[in-house]
Amino acid sequence: MIRKKAWFLILTLLLFVIPLTALLLQSLSAPWRFHTGQGLDWGWQGYAILFENPQLWEATFISIGIGFAVLFMNVTIGLFTGKALVSYAYRGKAWLEALLLSPILIPSLAIAMGLHLFMIRIGLADTIWGVMLIHLVPTVPYSIKIFHNSYQQMGKAMMEQPHILGAGFWTQVFTVELPLLRPAIRSLTFLTIVISLSQYALTAIIGGGRVLTLPLVFFPFLDNANTSIMAAFSIWFALIPLSMYIIIEVLMMFLPYSRLPWRNHR
Amino acid sequence: MKLFKNKTFLLFLPAGAFLIIPFYGFLYAVIQSLGGEGFTHYHEILNSERFLSSVWFSIRTAGIATILSIILGLGFTKWFYPLLTHTSHRVMVWIPMLFPHFVWGYMIILLLSETGWMAQAFTAAGWLEDRSNFPVWTRDPQGIGIIITYVWKEVPLVILLLFPVYASIRPEYYALVDSLGGNAWHRFTTVDLPNLLPVLVESFLIIFSFTLAAYEVPALIGTTFPEMISVLGYEWFYGSSWDDRPLAFAAMVLTSLFLLILTLVGYFILSRPRWRAMRGNRP
Amino acid sequence: MTQKKLEMKNITKTFHQDKILSELTFHLEKGEIMSIVGPSGSGKTTLLRILAGLEKPSDGKIIMNGKDITKQKANRRSISLVFQQPLLFPHMTVKENIVYGAKVSKKYKEEKVDSLLEAIGMVRFQNHYPSEISGGQQQRVALARAMATEPEVILFDEPFSSLDPSLRQDLRYWVRDFLSSRETTAVFVTHDMEEAMIMGDQIAVFEDGNFQQIGTAETLHKSPANLRVASFLGGHLILNDHEFAPLHDVQVGTKKTVEDGVNFQATVEHITYQHGRPIAHLYVIDLKKKVSLPFDGTFPSREVQVTIPTDSIRTFSGETL
Repeated sequence: MIRKKAWFLILTLLLFVIPLTALLLQSLSAPWRFHTGQGLDWGWQGYAILFENPQLWEATFISIGIGFAVLFMNVTIGLFTGKALVSYAYRGKAWLEALLLSPILIPSLAIAMGLHLFMIRIGLADTIWGVMLIHLVPTVPYSIKIFHNSYQQMGKAMMEQPHILGAGFWTQVFTVELPLLRPAIRSLTFLTIVISLSQYALTAIIGGGRVLTLPLVFFPFLDNANTSIMAAFSIWFALIPLSMYIIIEVLMMFLPYSRLPWRNHR
Repeated sequence: MKLFKNKTFLLFLPAGAFLIIPFYGFLYAVIQSLGGEGFTHYHEILNSERFLSSVWFSIRTAGIATILSIILGLGFTKWFYPLLTHTSHRVMVWIPMLFPHFVWGYMIILLLSETGWMAQAFTAAGWLEDRSNFPVWTRDPQGIGIIITYVWKEVPLVILLLFPVYASIRPEYYALVDSLGGNAWHRFTTVDLPNLLPVLVESFLIIFSFTLAAYEVPALIGTTFPEMISVLGYEWFYGSSWDDRPLAFAAMVLTSLFLLILTLVGYFILSRPRWRAMRGNRP
Repeated sequence: MTQKKLEMKNITKTFHQDKILSELTFHLEKGEIMSIVGPSGSGKTTLLRILAGLEKPSDGKIIMNGKDITKQKANRRSISLVFQQPLLFPHMTVKENIVYGAKVSKKYKEEKVDSLLEAIGMVRFQNHYPSEISGGQQQRVALARAMATEPEVILFDEPFSSLDPSLRQDLRYWVRDFLSSRETTAVFVTHDMEEAMIMGDQIAVFEDGNFQQIGTAETLHKSPANLRVASFLGGHLILNDHEFAPLHDVQVGTKKTVEDGVNFQATVEHITYQHGRPIAHLYVIDLKKKVSLPFDGTFPSREVQVTIPTDSIRTFSGETL
């Protein structure tokens, strides 16, 4: 067991922790030139130059806005569908699940290209709303899966209990289901935001380059920025889901029956 | 029961509304690929050397990346799942999931390109005479950079998907196989595999369809020839002449159809009674 | 007192062409506790779920206080159901669980919650989370939560079956006293005859989708309606489809003891002890039936004679009616 643990730590450090640390160090120092025998030259220049770019701030706010909207729609659709799938006990359930998963199996590029003309016609092309809608395609199937699993773990009986006691649909959702779905909402927050931040092609096609999100700033940056700035930009990408996670965690404290430090003293 | 059915139906409405987006998009892609001219565009791309080599390159690259991700992720989970019950351990493993794919791809460039950190460090240590002697692993014609990026990024996803399955397998089953005189291979095939198979098939489909058709990583770390199908499609879509657009649609529709058939085969395998029975009471 | 609280009329439930309940009819009076006892898988739970409103009957009517409530949803019915598992909400404390029941049914009064906590002896644990208390305590809280909704009828679905035997015994009496002190109308489902006798004023033997007999424990034992009831009770030697003899009239010996009686060959399979007395488990060869009965003394051999005096042989009450 100890040997196993040692191997585990070596592998995770080497493959996951050290790359992240290196990226962090690079973002805090001038571009590395070890082959010339130079050491680290510390400094905030990477971040300073990055933040001077007005596009970065605009893109950050737009990305966060899109991220929250996409997350909200994901939670709503995921919750209803997860609940419905647990209540659904008829034949063809496996096919229904496959159908709901299919949007992530069809290339999203094909979907975005196909929708492009339609979005122009209904006036959603080149708007933030169109981009939000297209970002649902690669995220919602995951949300449905996560919520379905969570509801299954909760069990049908646990969902019948508040109903028997006399709770209405929404009371039940807010007092029992959402508090118990908290871990699912956490995973969903990360997954949805990161996927939304990963979309260059979809955003470029539907947003027409006029909806400026972070990937749309990142790609052109590659050609003319040095490694310190790009490393800082990379770290910036990870900070967004982290900070949104904290916001969601704070929001979830307002759910009924949350365990808070100032509650339930005994 | 009827009333209950109605209520369940209402709960499915949001998902139904959502499904309109991808299905309408796909349908429209099919219509535009035909462009009122029948299958001419399909004829054209199927006779195009560029398209065919791109298809082969895409399937090969995505296939290798997917299979490697699944094998490595499965091995990692199998060996280390008792350790993964600690939240801090899981957080470490899931670091790559915090970054978008193309950012991780950029990290690979920083790390493994001919001017990257590894090349620098090896030169400084005297193991390499010159940085240019470092092998070409990024923007290479073999797709090595693409594969490395995807594998590095997807292994944590595979672990994420497989970990709950391993956590739910009751250890008594291993003891049972042992008591019946089975070895490690028997343990894996009779206990692990029936539990894992649905998740493995699903993981394969999710990762393969993503790596086959995603644009960002190959655009960042790939070459112009051979190129991944998504890059080719994007180029045709935004190319100099509008005449290429139907070709983009035809290429993406063919990719979609290929993936849909693959999915059907996967689900057909999973819905065979033998596997259903082995999955037992897990609905 | 003889006001009909809850009535079921011709309730039928079919599932995939299987008849789970066929034309069930019964009623409960206010303050009455009825035990429904029957083998596992006989549809008792379905019956409770239909009463609670979690499932719809295929046919028939449910009437409460003279009003048809068949179409009413579970959360609108003044009926509460305590499940086999306590199903406490894990994110709420003991007290919050009880308050929850009171609040969602809009019957919240602070004194009531306090008195319920007092009644279940959980005042000291009111701020504990369900995971921090024992199974028996959890089931008591589940009961208090159900009572907090002030239901007119409370249903129990084998509420003690997940507890260990010693705890089960204590809780049975506790629940029984709790219900009768509040004059609560209740239906109690179990597969254990002893539990059914402790909990219910009336016992309904349920098998094959219908009630075989409803009556007090005494009535059931003195005059079982049919073979099914008798074999479920286990207190009789069933001679054939129509006749039986109470076990306490059955005599066992090495030889035929009574002149005027029926005689059977039997073998002693095993001897166990219960309530301090030895119990002989016999296999009556001629009837191909196993019986267990207390006895005094010892058997000299495995082969014994079972004798039933002629005047002890009865006919099932269902047949004479």
